[in-house]
Amino acid sequence: MSPQNILLILVSTPLVVFLAMSVLWLLGGHMPEQAISRITKAVYAILTIGAFILGYKMWQSGVTTLRVSLGDWFTVAHYGFPLSLLVDRLSFPIVAVTIILAGVVGSFSVRYLHRDPGFYRFFLLLHLFTFGALLVFTADSLDLLIGGWEIVGITSVLLIGFFQYRMDPARNALRVFATYRVADLFMLVAVFLAHHWFGTASWEGMFSGEWPGHVHNLQGSAASISIIAVLLVFAASGKSSQGPFCGWLPRAMEGPTPSSAVFYGAISVHAGAYLLLRIEPLFRVSWVATALVIFVGLTTALLGTLVHRTCADAKTSLAYASQTQLGLIFAEIGFGWTTFAIIHIVSHAILRTLQFLRTPSMLRDHHRVHAAAGGKIDPTGEHLEALFPRGIQIWLYRFALGRGFYDSILNRFIIAPLLWGARMLAIFEPGWEAVGPDAEQHASKSETAAS
Amino acid sequence: MSTHNHSDTCDHSHPQGGHAPGDPVGHLRHVVDHAAHFLPTQGPIGVFVHHNTLHSLQNKPFEEAVLEGAKLFGAEPYMAEEAYQSEHARGRILNEDIDDTLRREPDAEIIVGRLTRRQLRRVLLIPGVRRVNGINVSWQIEEGDWLTSFRHDLPAAAARALANDTPQALWDVCKKRAKLQPAPPPAKPVRPRDAVLARHGIDMDAIIHPPLIRLTGAYLDQGIAYWPMPLREEGLLKAARKIMPQPLALFPAHLTSVAEAFVQQEAKQMSAEAVVMDALEKLAVPQDQWDDYIVQELLALRGWAGMVRMLENDVTLAPHDRVKCSIMDFLALRLTYTVAALQDIVGDTTSWHSFQLPPPRFDPLAHIGRIFDVAQLLGLSSDTLRSLSDEEWDRLDEEIIACNETERRRLLHIAYERRHERRILIPLARHRSLPSIQPESDRLAAQVMFCIDEREESIRRALEEVDPSIETVGAAGFFGVAIDYAGIDDADGASLCPVVVKPAHTVREVPVKEHSYVHKQRQNLRRAWAKIVRNGFISSRTLVRGWISTACLGFLSLFPLVLRVLSPLAYGRFIKRLNRAFLPEPITEFTYMRDDEASRDATTGLMRGFTTQEQADRVAGILGPAGMHKAHARLVVILGHGSTSLNNPYESAYCCGACGGRTGAPNARLFALIANRPAVREALRAKGIIVPEDTWFLGGYHDTCSDDIQFFDVDLMPESHHGDLARVRQSLDKARALGAHERSRRFAAADLESTPEIALRHVQERAEHISEPRPEYGHCTNAVAYVGRREFTRGLFMDRRAFLISYDATKDPTNEALGRVLGAVIPVCGGINLEYYFSTVDIETYGSGTKLPHNVSGLVGVMNGYQGDLRTGLPVQTVEIHEPVRILFVIESTPERLMSVVKANPELTEFVCNKWIRVATMDPDDGHIEIYRDGVFEKLEGDEEPLPVVPSSMAWYQGKMEHLGLARIDPKVAKAA
Repeated sequence: MSPQNILLILVSTPLVVFLAMSVLWLLGGHMPEQAISRITKAVYAILTIGAFILGYKMWQSGVTTLRVSLGDWFTVAHYGFPLSLLVDRLSFPIVAVTIILAGVVGSFSVRYLHRDPGFYRFFLLLHLFTFGALLVFTADSLDLLIGGWEIVGITSVLLIGFFQYRMDPARNALRVFATYRVADLFMLVAVFLAHHWFGTASWEGMFSGEWPGHVHNLQGSAASISIIAVLLVFAASGKSSQGPFCGWLPRAMEGPTPSSAVFYGAISVHAGAYLLLRIEPLFRVSWVATALVIFVGLTTALLGTLVHRTCADAKTSLAYASQTQLGLIFAEIGFGWTTFAIIHIVSHAILRTLQFLRTPSMLRDHHRVHAAAGGKIDPTGEHLEALFPRGIQIWLYRFALGRGFYDSILNRFIIAPLLWGARMLAIFEPGWEAVGPDAEQHASKSETAAS
Repeated sequence: MSTHNHSDTCDHSHPQGGHAPGDPVGHLRHVVDHAAHFLPTQGPIGVFVHHNTLHSLQNKPFEEAVLEGAKLFGAEPYMAEEAYQSEHARGRILNEDIDDTLRREPDAEIIVGRLTRRQLRRVLLIPGVRRVNGINVSWQIEEGDWLTSFRHDLPAAAARALANDTPQALWDVCKKRAKLQPAPPPAKPVRPRDAVLARHGIDMDAIIHPPLIRLTGAYLDQGIAYWPMPLREEGLLKAARKIMPQPLALFPAHLTSVAEAFVQQEAKQMSAEAVVMDALEKLAVPQDQWDDYIVQELLALRGWAGMVRMLENDVTLAPHDRVKCSIMDFLALRLTYTVAALQDIVGDTTSWHSFQLPPPRFDPLAHIGRIFDVAQLLGLSSDTLRSLSDEEWDRLDEEIIACNETERRRLLHIAYERRHERRILIPLARHRSLPSIQPESDRLAAQVMFCIDEREESIRRALEEVDPSIETVGAAGFFGVAIDYAGIDDADGASLCPVVVKPAHTVREVPVKEHSYVHKQRQNLRRAWAKIVRNGFISSRTLVRGWISTACLGFLSLFPLVLRVLSPLAYGRFIKRLNRAFLPEPITEFTYMRDDEASRDATTGLMRGFTTQEQADRVAGILGPAGMHKAHARLVVILGHGSTSLNNPYESAYCCGACGGRTGAPNARLFALIANRPAVREALRAKGIIVPEDTWFLGGYHDTCSDDIQFFDVDLMPESHHGDLARVRQSLDKARALGAHERSRRFAAADLESTPEIALRHVQERAEHISEPRPEYGHCTNAVAYVGRREFTRGLFMDRRAFLISYDATKDPTNEALGRVLGAVIPVCGGINLEYYFSTVDIETYGSGTKLPHNVSGLVGVMNGYQGDLRTGLPVQTVEIHEPVRILFVIESTPERLMSVVKANPELTEFVCNKWIRVATMDPDDGHIEIYRDGVFEKLEGDEEPLPVVPSSMAWYQGKMEHLGLARIDPKVAKAA
């Protein structure tokens, strides 16, 4: 089998499984857990073997860049939507790690979700997510990448709201969804501008040479390249919980543990970093974008590590620890240490998956270490913290406990005015306002009932 | 015979009592104390102790308490009506159970000569009324088939009576004659939150809970946060008000004035009481409503409030950091936030009292619909209804309203329990009347003492099946030795005894002298390991160290990740092998002797070890009640139990309840050591317990999750007994595989047709599986406790649902042993059973919901998501196959003897007389059974339940997943056949 076909199989298998499962579901059919479990294991076995063969073949034949073009989905005048996949030295390791980690988590979930009413839904979404993630990492153009990007986003949101009968998961899922949407706007605008200014948004059209060390071949003003790069940095920040979008990661912990692992430890959050690595030549020529990536990365890392220090629950603590490392990965990319960044991404993804899957062990682990250490664990939080005078220490603690006041700022200065504006506009729509608060009230009531 | 009043031992229904009106602060303290009673009493989850979820209402009869609990906590009192009806449909509840239940309720005539209350209730329960509310009634009338045809499931007589009637006519009569029910009056808001929600549509709890949870979580944290909260030594309230109002600190919407309030409180140095008083005044809560108000405020975040309360009452519950806790602090903090939010949203803090709550949903059609339904079920035609006198009609109205949904569920529940009772008691009596399945030889080959735990029932039965000359004995799993124990690998001592007992003696495991260097080595290696693991943990999460470690070392975690998930058993064994290879294990002994009366530790008040007399007392306390006075086997094995599982915050809930949620292995080991001492044997002889010289006691441990069994101090055993041990070991090996096989039938992931060896591997894999939310089913399905001689339950299949307590009434003329046994087992088994009952009937309120999104917070509990309330009770994965019935105690004694013991102990009186458990006695002489009902004992009659006889346990359960009834296991049947 040619490497091209293998690549196609890799990307399309989870999609086919998802489609089959969803059609069955929509037709009112049902599949026993055993069958879902076998299918899931089979899919990831195929994917893992496929990825190995693909890697081996590419290595053997010395091919570092593999393209599969299926032509255009549609063409309108000068615009064509290219259906083209790409695997190179950047995407292969990430594709491989995606397949392995999703497989491990899938296998974990078969046991973990046994008898849960949402069993079917979970695996449906897991396959869709795998497809979306593979599409992001193998898309040969921004146009196609957006497709995968959105799939990853929507599955992420649906899994945060997995426990639909409680109010909090639904509320937090909605918040994450809104954050994603805002961040995705940047990406959409970037794609439009790329087409508008340069007539292309495919990797082939935008860059030449092989990763790493590829260069852009866009003919245009430095400012326009810079604008596109900056927009994409914001888009990447949304997915990776960085900079202005740094507050959603803890909210994503409402879902079942394995989905937290695969999305927020392993794959989904690293998609932003992947995007930056891919478009790296663009911000290499724009000091604004470079500075922005470094600034966003470092400030998020600092904020993340500070907040992490005060988190008293297993998952939030891990979420901020992830965010810290993601910030560093962003900074590494900004500094141009791309090879190191990709190693960091892969290594970090594996470690966090394990840590997320093991969050329920926190209690046992801590007690064992405590006993083995003879009942005395070295106190933490006494090194850096002690450098500051007492007053500043407490201020920093307060700042960290308030999660950098991120939610307060967002709620009070962005969401509240937005809602106020919407309410003002409602005067043009008589009857709307009467529905508004009442609906909210019903929502809160059902929440009390659930809790 | 035994009618008596309910005890008033813990009546706290009068909080105002005993306080002068002039002392509001004293009154406040009293009110808060009283309110805190209703909080969940679950301590840090590392030590999970089962207890009655409604412990605070245990002074009331069960049926009253569940209703009061339902109102107070917004919970369900019983299973859903549909659940009982489907149990009826599958034959778990029979018609005669319902008839009997109704016969025990007072009857009355409703329509003279035509209808009695019993007849009415009978049809209301089964086939039951259709679910009606105002909305669906109108729909059924207008769109559905209510007016076109009668119900299709009518009893034949009713259908005949209605043959010439039309639904339309019947409906018209009902509509015309039914008394218009008055709408319920709108309730007054108890908390500002309810009022604000009704008026402004803003949920104040959603505003104030996140900061409260974050503060309390950080305050109680036992070691998750890298940076512990500063100022914790000053208490929650002071720490919060010094930390929160920092310059430039941004508060969430509606809470901006909290900063100012904190600053003022701090400036005035207000105590928590003063803050609460101040808030009550601002909120204009009159003194006589403080109680209701504070109960509701505390219950709004009951998990966290309960944890604060538990740690306030007993600071030693905190696993690592002992923090000063006070429920008054918590309440003061909560009210400060409440006042601030209320002020911001409403503009003042008193007008909320006048806000109207939304009226409860009410539709008069619902009542008419119900009468319509009832008339059909009873075959009351429109003519009959029309001819009723007003008086009769009124009575019909009232009776239908009185038998509302809760009442129907209560009656159905009693019927549900009755069938369970009969399916246990009748076969049990039959089994007893048949010849006992006794060991064949004169002297037993061995006796094996297990914990009374119902999970040990299967392995006990299997062991006796494998080797009929072995007898098993059941005693509470701390084996009478309440100790504070630390093993060589433990940092601190832990109490190994029921939680109600405070141990007074310490026992330590130490390496034997020759091995102290091995111990040293081991400790050093463990210290090094702890350092590496701890550093790895921290460095993977911080900024600079994390940069290096995640980037470089993350790859290494691929191996544990993949292997743990894909091949858990092999990986677990690999780790164990590594441990054995690199971590030397010294031979150890216990320090348990005390010669010196004054060796009491000045700080802890604990005494080191036991004197010989104390040791003999402990041994006699176990052997005596169990009837082991003489003729012991050559080998007596004492098996403690515990449970190990991975990735499971509830691990402790599976351990030994009699050891306070820990393992009973050290107790078993200690008991054997003590019982082997010649001096103790000497002292026992004086108590009438004669242990033969050639009897050897051996301690051991049984893991109920992986079914592993190990023995202690085998090296001390005389060579002459090695043969006995080999035999017992072989039999136990077979028995544990059989036990594993039997319990695997409940697991969907296990193959129903597999062999015992495969089943054993399966359960071992479960214990090593990090993705397994049900490593074992714990106490799930528990329903019975048998206190009596083993010979009458020997060879009886009880489906791992019965606690088996060995007690020999014939050797206990004074009932002293009975008092001791019941005093220990009724609270332990009753507590376990009631926790399972409540978690099952309301998994979200009394239980902790599904385990899947649980997030360990502060090492003290679990919450949903990133900021939620602490979840208490049991998760759905633990209770999903449980049958919520109150535990049925079958006690081998007479009613008089039993009640004399029960009445002497207020706690037992509460359990028995308030019917939190069901009780029956089995006569020690002739075996007849009497059942306790409302103060009197009734003889068991009837014989409708069979006792199947099968050649082996496996023949009875193989291929079945559901609950199974009792069966007599008689191998001779197979030989005969």
